[in-house]
Amino acid sequence: ITARIKRTLPVRGPQAPTLSELMRWYCLNTNTHGCRRIVVSRGRLRRFIWILLTLSAVGLILWQCAELLLNYYSASVSVTVQFQKLPFPAVTICNINPYKYSSMKDYLSELDKETKKALETFYGFSEGKSKVRRSVDERNSTGSEFFKQIPLLKFEDFSRTVIDLHSGQKRKIEGSVFHKDSSIVNSGDSNDIIGFQLCDANNSSDCALYTFSSGVNAIQEWYKLHYMNIMAQIPLETKEKASYSADDLILTCFFDGLSCDKRHFTRFHHPLHGNCYTFNSGENGTILSTSTGGSEYGLQVVLYIDEADYNPFLVTSTGAKIIVHDQNEYPFIEDIGTEIETAAATSIGMHFTRSRKLSKPYSDCTETGADIPVENLYNKSYSLQICLHSCFQKAMVDSCGCAQYAQPLPPGAEYCNYKKNPNWMYCYYRLHEKFVKEQLGCQQICKDACSFKEWALTTSIAQWPSTVSEDWMLRVLSWDKGQKLNKKLNKTDLANLMVFYKDLNERFISENPANTLVILLSNFGGQLGLWMSCSVVCVIEIVEVFLIDSLSIVMRRQWQKAKKWWNDRKRERLGKAPQAGDLERQGHDNPVCIDEDLPTFNTALRLPLPQDSPLPRTPPPNYSTLRLETAFTEQLPDTLEAGQH
Amino acid sequence: MNLKKYFVRALHRLQKGPGYTYKELLVWYCDNTNTHGPKRIIKEGPKKKLIWFFLTLLFASLVFWQWGILINTYLSYNVTSSLSIGFKTMKFPAVTVCNANPFKYSEVKDLLKDLDRLIEAALERILQPMPGNSSENPSLSLNLKLWNQIPLVLIDEHDKDNPIILDIFESNQTVGGKQTPVGNETPGSALPALCPQCSQEGSDNCTYRNFTSAAQAVTEWYILQSTSILSKVPLQERIRMGYQAEDMILACLYGAEPCNYKNFTQIYHPDHGNCYIFNWGMDEEALNSSNPGAEFGLKLILDISQQDYIPYLSSAAGARLMLHQQKSFPFLKDQGIYAMAGTETSIGVLVDELERMGYPYSDCTNNGSDVPVRNLYSQYNTSYSIQACLRSCFQNHMIELCGCGHYMFPLPEGVNYCNNEDNPGWAYCYSSLRSSIRHRQICIDSCKETCNDTQYKMTISMADWPSEASEDWIFHILSYERDMSTNVTLDRNGIIKLNIYFQEYNCRTISESAATTIVWLLSSLGGQFGFWMGGSVLCLIEFGEIIIDSLWITVIHIISWCKGLKQKRARTRYPDAPPTVSELVEAHTNMGFQHEDAGAVPRDETLPPEPGTPPPNYDSLRVQPLNVLGPDSDAE
Repeated sequence: ITARIKRTLPVRGPQAPTLSELMRWYCLNTNTHGCRRIVVSRGRLRRFIWILLTLSAVGLILWQCAELLLNYYSASVSVTVQFQKLPFPAVTICNINPYKYSSMKDYLSELDKETKKALETFYGFSEGKSKVRRSVDERNSTGSEFFKQIPLLKFEDFSRTVIDLHSGQKRKIEGSVFHKDSSIVNSGDSNDIIGFQLCDANNSSDCALYTFSSGVNAIQEWYKLHYMNIMAQIPLETKEKASYSADDLILTCFFDGLSCDKRHFTRFHHPLHGNCYTFNSGENGTILSTSTGGSEYGLQVVLYIDEADYNPFLVTSTGAKIIVHDQNEYPFIEDIGTEIETAAATSIGMHFTRSRKLSKPYSDCTETGADIPVENLYNKSYSLQICLHSCFQKAMVDSCGCAQYAQPLPPGAEYCNYKKNPNWMYCYYRLHEKFVKEQLGCQQICKDACSFKEWALTTSIAQWPSTVSEDWMLRVLSWDKGQKLNKKLNKTDLANLMVFYKDLNERFISENPANTLVILLSNFGGQLGLWMSCSVVCVIEIVEVFLIDSLSIVMRRQWQKAKKWWNDRKRERLGKAPQAGDLERQGHDNPVCIDEDLPTFNTALRLPLPQDSPLPRTPPPNYSTLRLETAFTEQLPDTLEAGQH
Repeated sequence: MNLKKYFVRALHRLQKGPGYTYKELLVWYCDNTNTHGPKRIIKEGPKKKLIWFFLTLLFASLVFWQWGILINTYLSYNVTSSLSIGFKTMKFPAVTVCNANPFKYSEVKDLLKDLDRLIEAALERILQPMPGNSSENPSLSLNLKLWNQIPLVLIDEHDKDNPIILDIFESNQTVGGKQTPVGNETPGSALPALCPQCSQEGSDNCTYRNFTSAAQAVTEWYILQSTSILSKVPLQERIRMGYQAEDMILACLYGAEPCNYKNFTQIYHPDHGNCYIFNWGMDEEALNSSNPGAEFGLKLILDISQQDYIPYLSSAAGARLMLHQQKSFPFLKDQGIYAMAGTETSIGVLVDELERMGYPYSDCTNNGSDVPVRNLYSQYNTSYSIQACLRSCFQNHMIELCGCGHYMFPLPEGVNYCNNEDNPGWAYCYSSLRSSIRHRQICIDSCKETCNDTQYKMTISMADWPSEASEDWIFHILSYERDMSTNVTLDRNGIIKLNIYFQEYNCRTISESAATTIVWLLSSLGGQFGFWMGGSVLCLIEFGEIIIDSLWITVIHIISWCKGLKQKRARTRYPDAPPTVSELVEAHTNMGFQHEDAGAVPRDETLPPEPGTPPPNYDSLRVQPLNVLGPDSDAE
């Protein structure tokens, strides 16, 4: 029976009796170079050198492969230039002045009166000198209370004594002082500092003081504050009506050699710039494209800027603002608009660049913005700007209870105004301060978009109309406008704008993964092969030999030791089997611990050994090199026979 | 028979391979190959053998799959770009300066006299729609011949179905052009000033080109008319009528060296008349600039004499300038910028170069010789550019369809420019061609961009110049230098200062290089093969050898099978067929493979135990089958 079991045992493979035998077998039979040299070499020094070389080769492989792995997520950039028909971008045009001053008179008269009063009190500037000559209604409005609550203040030195605009009295004020421009100018030496104070309505001791080194900034900032208050209360329809209509703004329009008119423009109401008009907004589903570069084939518009109807305090420059953007992008006119001069022809040559970054794990950008925890309040595709504004608006609604006027409304919120939220200004300024100092976390949450389109603009200006053509040009343009306007146009009311593609080369900058898995594996293979002529097969070999086989050898030897010890004890004490031995045996005998291949072998060993076998610990080696040397080949002829075949 | 025997022997000798059967061959191959997997199949026990067999198969297929990917990647000819930014000594760009107005009005007044009077009268009519109160006297001298070719009309579309077409000069006869004229309708119900249209021969085939603004209509009409008139004037005359270099370029300084109008090359540009190019590099070497900053750039003072503009032709006043490469034609309408009168315009230049690899990496052309469009700009001795190609393409279409060339583009041999007398329908033909999307697409498709693309990125800034304090003496000196007179002949509206210089970082070069070279491909292929199987090219050769061997074996098998067939026929009387070659060989050689079969076990037992014998050496075994085979064939 013993012989039969032994015969059927799968005793192929490296069933070396000891670990050193196993290593020897491995070194002689492995596919990797180096190991064989260690075994084959004669002489200690030589063997030592070979061990050193093999180990350093292994080290090099590990180092290089680690390097390869670390550099796996790198990107290479490719730039392609393609000459093709290009989609014309959307061009949004706004008048710098948001609303006609004449039509906003009713709402703003109180504020203007207050501003003029402040000017008069602080600077001795009287109305008579200015050319502003509108009659101010002497209406008592509920707002005047509020103007008194947040008045302009004049500071005397830094003694925190202020002159109140209304009472004219000096008083001490409390509160932390915010210098709007303290980091740039040391305003300490100035005598007249103008600013305003914002207090927490519930707790009047908690005040913030905003000071400016120049009265120009102070008055504009103060005016804007109250202006936003007022605008927040006016319904959108009224505001749209009070702003410029397409007919007002656009005198002539010419695109790609063909005439266009207001139907090609889409109205878009911007909270700070009033009615803006977007050319080629793609609203009706078609996006115009250009197949020829050059100024004749782009967009040519003559704009009517009604300078006389400007709000004197809100805007101090004249002209229009334009922005070139993609149809899906929200135009952030106030942030990145280009200003257009009046009485001049502004020619804007565009050069189109499209960029694409790789998203995770190559870089930290977002494809659609869906993975950003900030709700997109704008009805347009994601951009960093949109995210920041939405994030701020959200924080504003959360902490102040109402929404800021310049940004769109989140659902369920309404714009701040001092009737409902008397505290909002203070809250807003505090929040804005935090936002700028990156304490709100918006800058950390928002990521940049992975792909974006960019139109690089080259702006140049020429005089327009030229002195000799001025006469007829103005006459004809007045006639064009004629139906509604009965006055002759002035050239400072007009701006000529040309937007065109300089060339139809689209530059596409894209990141590509520098490595693919295939290339990574090739590089691994190259490294393994270069240093040791190794492959995955070798790796499997190593796993097999060093983990499975050596583990099994160790287990086997332990088992045998335990058994021997057990037998010795048995022989000595004759029947007095100690409990400890049982426990120990269980530990070694646990069949779960032993490798799949081995139980058969172990069971074989557990069988009563033949009496004539002097060394039970050695199993039959079956590999060719050992076969010649082992003394016990004759012991198991059957298995050996099977092995040979 | 002898011959056959000899033949078979020769085959055997030729074969001399590692075995006579497929199995033998395979075993030999697995044992001796340098690839890592197969050896294990032979060396391991039965279970592991199976595992190793599948592992080897898996790895082999992985290798082939990855090779496919690698070769595909190589054939897609990807490029990687490298970017370098810095300052280096570079060729200063060629600078073209033109006046926005092509001709001096004082010179062309005679030619345009009729036209001007006509347009003045027309404006009068337009601006005062009531014909009664304007005096009819001045229109007597009008040259209505010009008018009748391309009339300017008003279309009253209050009634959408019956638009009333109002010829400005024949306002009495209100033409109720119902159906015929409506080319592109204007649904706007207001009264827009709609403009000319060009009849083709008769008045029946008319389309009206609509304008929403009278200013546009008048300008377009004037341009059409004046081109037609000026195209008849010979080139020499046109150059004379334009601005002369000595009048226009008042001062010039390049770096520290003075230069003057003689350093400029004159070129006639159809849009802008006489243009002057600095540093074009046509006759002499291009200038280098090795320092950044305004001090080392080009400084120019120009006079555009705005008083002498043609009033209706160009309404914008200023100089037009453009930076471009040496030996290239300046396309000012596309890439030119304006410089405003009465200002100092500073232009910082960054050279943006793009160097691309040609076919098959990207579709670009080096010198335009492979573009199927005749380059008309080659008469200027300029290099190929995409703009030149597109314009040449348009002009070629125009000549083909309209029979004459457009005034704005150069002419090929033997063709004339269009004018109203010789080609009365040209304006119509031109407008329809210009708005034809199909023709544009043809041109876009047939033109290729150049491989080396250089762009000049400009940072433009402006300041008022001359300042009020310095105005007097500057005007005085410049006037004196130009005219040798003490009178001031210049004013703010005509004078322009230009500074063109390199920025601190003056070049940005994006150059392409092949992402995948043949070396890359080979090392990647080797890496894959080595990674999975530890193989190399030699392993492939080994494999090829085995295939050749197995082919030989097949040949031998076929021959012996044929022989067996013959023998069968010849010796049908013998009931037992002699054993075939393969049977015999198998019986002797494949013991190593059969021990795992259940049937093989008893056979093993019958064999005498030979403990000390080494594993069968196949080389020695090969001799045995030969002997077995030998007698067999000999017996035949």
